[in-house]
Amino acid sequence: MLSAGAKAAIYGSAIGIAPRWIRPAWAAELAPGMIGGPTGFDGAERYQYGPDTPEGRAVEAARALKASGQAPERILMGLSDGSIGQLTQPFPDGAPSIKELWERETGIMIDIVGLPNGQEFTRVMQDISTRAGGMDIYSVEWNRLGDLAESGGIMNLDDFVAEHRPEWDDPVDGYVNGAQGVALLNEYRGSSYGVSLDGDFQTWVYRTDLFGDDAEQNAFRDQFGYDLAPPRTWAQLNDIAGFFHRPDQGLIGSSDLRNQGWGYTNWYQRYCSMAAPNQFLFDDDATPLVNSEAGFLATQDYVASLGHHSADAISWGWPEQYGNFAQGGAAMTCAFSNLPKFLDNPANEGSQVTGLIGSMLPPGTQHGDGIVSRSVLWFSLTGMVSSQSQHPEVAYLLLQWLGSARIYSWMTANPGGYLDPFRLSCFADPLVRQTYHAYHMDNVRETVARTVPTINYPGATAFHNALDENLMAALTGAKTAEQAMADTETTWNQIVRRTGQDKIAEAIKSNKPAWPTVVDPA
Amino acid sequence: MTRSPVFETFRYAAILLALAITLVPIIWMTSMAFKPVSEWQATGADLTWIPKRPTFENFRYLFGQSETTLIVALERTATKPILASLLSAGFGTLIAMGAGTAAAYGLSRFGSGGNLPLALIQLRLFPPMAVMIPVMMMWAFLSLMDTWWGLALIYGIVTLPFAFWLMKTFFDEMPREIEEAALVEGCTRLRVFLKITLPMMRAPLASATLFVFILNWSDYLIALLLTTRQWVTIPVYMSSLASSMTGQLYGAKAALGLIAAVPPVILGIMIQRHLVRGLTFGALKQ
Amino acid sequence: MSVTDTPPAPPPTAASVPADAVRLGHWLTLPAQILILFIAVFPILMQLYISLTDWSPLSGRPWPRAWELWNGFANYADLMSDRRLWSAVGRTALVMIVCVPVQFFLGLGLAMLFVDDFRGKRLFYSILIMPMMVVPAVAGYMFFMLFQSGGPINDIFGTLIGRPVVIAWLSDPTLALVAVMIADIWQWTPLMFLILLAGLVGVPDDQMKAATLLGANAWQRFRTIALPRMKTIIIIALAIRVIENFKIFDTLYIMTSGGPGVATETISVYIYKVTTQDLIWGYVAAIALVILIVLSVVAVLAMRRMAR
Repeated sequence: MLSAGAKAAIYGSAIGIAPRWIRPAWAAELAPGMIGGPTGFDGAERYQYGPDTPEGRAVEAARALKASGQAPERILMGLSDGSIGQLTQPFPDGAPSIKELWERETGIMIDIVGLPNGQEFTRVMQDISTRAGGMDIYSVEWNRLGDLAESGGIMNLDDFVAEHRPEWDDPVDGYVNGAQGVALLNEYRGSSYGVSLDGDFQTWVYRTDLFGDDAEQNAFRDQFGYDLAPPRTWAQLNDIAGFFHRPDQGLIGSSDLRNQGWGYTNWYQRYCSMAAPNQFLFDDDATPLVNSEAGFLATQDYVASLGHHSADAISWGWPEQYGNFAQGGAAMTCAFSNLPKFLDNPANEGSQVTGLIGSMLPPGTQHGDGIVSRSVLWFSLTGMVSSQSQHPEVAYLLLQWLGSARIYSWMTANPGGYLDPFRLSCFADPLVRQTYHAYHMDNVRETVARTVPTINYPGATAFHNALDENLMAALTGAKTAEQAMADTETTWNQIVRRTGQDKIAEAIKSNKPAWPTVVDPA
Repeated sequence: MTRSPVFETFRYAAILLALAITLVPIIWMTSMAFKPVSEWQATGADLTWIPKRPTFENFRYLFGQSETTLIVALERTATKPILASLLSAGFGTLIAMGAGTAAAYGLSRFGSGGNLPLALIQLRLFPPMAVMIPVMMMWAFLSLMDTWWGLALIYGIVTLPFAFWLMKTFFDEMPREIEEAALVEGCTRLRVFLKITLPMMRAPLASATLFVFILNWSDYLIALLLTTRQWVTIPVYMSSLASSMTGQLYGAKAALGLIAAVPPVILGIMIQRHLVRGLTFGALKQ
Repeated sequence: MSVTDTPPAPPPTAASVPADAVRLGHWLTLPAQILILFIAVFPILMQLYISLTDWSPLSGRPWPRAWELWNGFANYADLMSDRRLWSAVGRTALVMIVCVPVQFFLGLGLAMLFVDDFRGKRLFYSILIMPMMVVPAVAGYMFFMLFQSGGPINDIFGTLIGRPVVIAWLSDPTLALVAVMIADIWQWTPLMFLILLAGLVGVPDDQMKAATLLGANAWQRFRTIALPRMKTIIIIALAIRVIENFKIFDTLYIMTSGGPGVATETISVYIYKVTTQDLIWGYVAAIALVILIVLSVVAVLAMRRMAR
């Protein structure tokens, strides 16, 4: 795999030096009527496209720009280190790499600027603030869209969207929830600023070997009086995680994160399910709602659940979480949807849980005869065009192409990186279902339907930092749950004032329709 | 002086304890560097101190030679970061030593630059983090971001105080008779400095150079902020060694840590005699 | 070996130096002067300017237009009431107050054991100074692993007391601070040891022997003969560690990122986080300038003392 990747990189730079305008040789392998797309493997025609498709329009427009000398030799794309493989490694056998295909079809090279995982925003801010102009495309967490748009560092893409018609809201293979989903993922205050390239809906997985074990099931039923099954409520999660928590045997109950910068995704899930259909973070007039019974209960449970976590939970990030789960160290966890792709993977000889992973909906809270279960969208890399780019249109076209129904499904199936499925087209795609596993994919789709957005309006970074700081204080016992929520409210009020109450209230209102309304029968 | 057996026992006991504490992290790193992936896990019941199945795989992986399928392919091998560290630390040392030696001589012999001692102490006192915003602006403006030469320039400035103070004490105590004799014979002062003084100072110059190199080699913070991709140094590169297949690539990190320790250890041995002097800004002779 | 207590020759004054020498002197010091100006002038002016504004890279304008966000001295006022900053200052002081003396006494104790010859001295010496050669960032990764609750350090403790030890070093606010201090002490005690040993060895043997003949015990010999002669060395050793410890970042940041929460946030870590996460750069500039002023006063006072 490694050497293949290295070779691909070499070939990638050698191929496609000269643009080939007139039906190139490789086009002969395309299905009839198609003008582009990958070839060379079974099912490749699923990812090929005709002239009047978002992919086809993007490629043809890029070619036209290249022909008229308005396209650069190469486009600089900033991308997380861990996701580069999805663009550079050919998948499946016989296929070109994504990068190779774009370069072959348009004659414009992609130069990937690797960004250390977790430092994407820092690097991008560096590029914007120093006006270094080191990238045409930024790939940054989705939450930063508001902040970055306000900074002037990224371009408003409305004109390009109108001209090249990406069809993101296609009911068959577009975004979940159609136009509403597009607004949530790509827009800020009614304008397009980003192109989603990721689907970091936090999903829950469990160990089927543990849950299916007869002895465990009997012992559990004796102790708790009900059957051992994937938990549907937070109370059940606590029972089951406590039951499996055996640190002396190298097994912890649950390893959903509690660290800085990530832990609060698991607080969100508890908090937002505290009311039916949703417990919101802010009122419509931007008054924080966290300093409330719902906030206290969620925080208390979030802290108390440390009891069935690793003693090191507060210092564990996803690398520790994945490493531990691969070693069979946890009964349940909440992670990116790609955990089964990497750890339930015969090629991963280091994983001891291959074939032993099950997928479940997030636990929830019972309200009357319904259960509200909520997941959360956090991180999720989104492509944006730098205001410093000399060739913003070409940069946008590359993003339209990458984020399109056919290319994105093909790309997300590739085990070479972290970019996860989010389009309807992905969930149904056989290749995606193969690498992400069918058992997981249906569940991810259901999780997406129960996902609330994290804060994505201006000040998002500051809001989250304040919440993070107070939740960490609660986790370490420096503050009570009540104090932590009260202090969060105080700081949030300051941020609202500083950023402008009207601006925030407007953003909250446009964010609200994206919250799910599904309530499951108890 | 003869010592009592009680003292000797105490001495060996105390030293052995100190050795044990000193060696725990070093042994751990060395052993980790040779562990296969299955033994990396730092936590857990089956913690191993000595690799059960020792392997060079971690080193091979760093240079893109590994056959293992466990790890998401490395987009960049460690070769370029090692080169970046060598170039930036090396040329940074040249800048610091060039400017520092010349200034030290100017002050020591001709009383020029009386402001330098205080200015350089201030430079060393100040936490680099606190000026990184304007430095980032300057470096971007001068197109020095993410280049080894840009890094070398800031390294040269940051370690200038050490170079200056070290060389100044060396010059201060060097006898001046030879220089004066050469002057009488009609040499220009510059010629005396270049052709007589510097060659005489070869040994102190070498030890000061190596010392400043070690300082530059150790940097993490500055490279973290001034390099992004092309020329990241070893410590910055190390932070990207994580994968979703196995979590943190502990083995690869340890292997790279061992490689990173090679230059300081070798240079440290070479200048062992002058090490103390370097560490004390030249205030202490050995 | 000796300490440069007495400068060999007083630095020549301008009057006593011939004109050609003065010229050469200026040329020779010029590169260093340029480098200092280069790194001082623009950064100080820029920080001074933006410290009077609310400018942030998120504010949608380049920094020269920061005046549009003029806020007078609001950043300086905020700084006075910034609890997180002051607790970082206090924590930096705490780390210094604990680490430097511990390093000093451990280093001194070890150095005293190494004064005379014994079997294995060279080997032990070489091993003891090894931590200094480990790149600090690398040491950070190593200690992160060592301090895991199921990691090697707890394993050793467990072996020593005969039952498993599960201490979550890095997840507990107090223990995390202890852990980063242990890492600092591990890495820098050798420096103290090295310097103090050089000082101790420099104490003339004949005086010590004479004192022994006069019936002085080891402690008396150390206090009355060695200690006064080592005063300068001790001051230098302490000063170096205080300066470097004040800037503590690499190892600590990699081990804990300043966490859990803000439990291990020192001045450098705090500024790093505010710079890269909160992005309130006008405010960072105000902090930087205050630090610069305080440290300049300290440096001037220190130079005065040194001159005396």
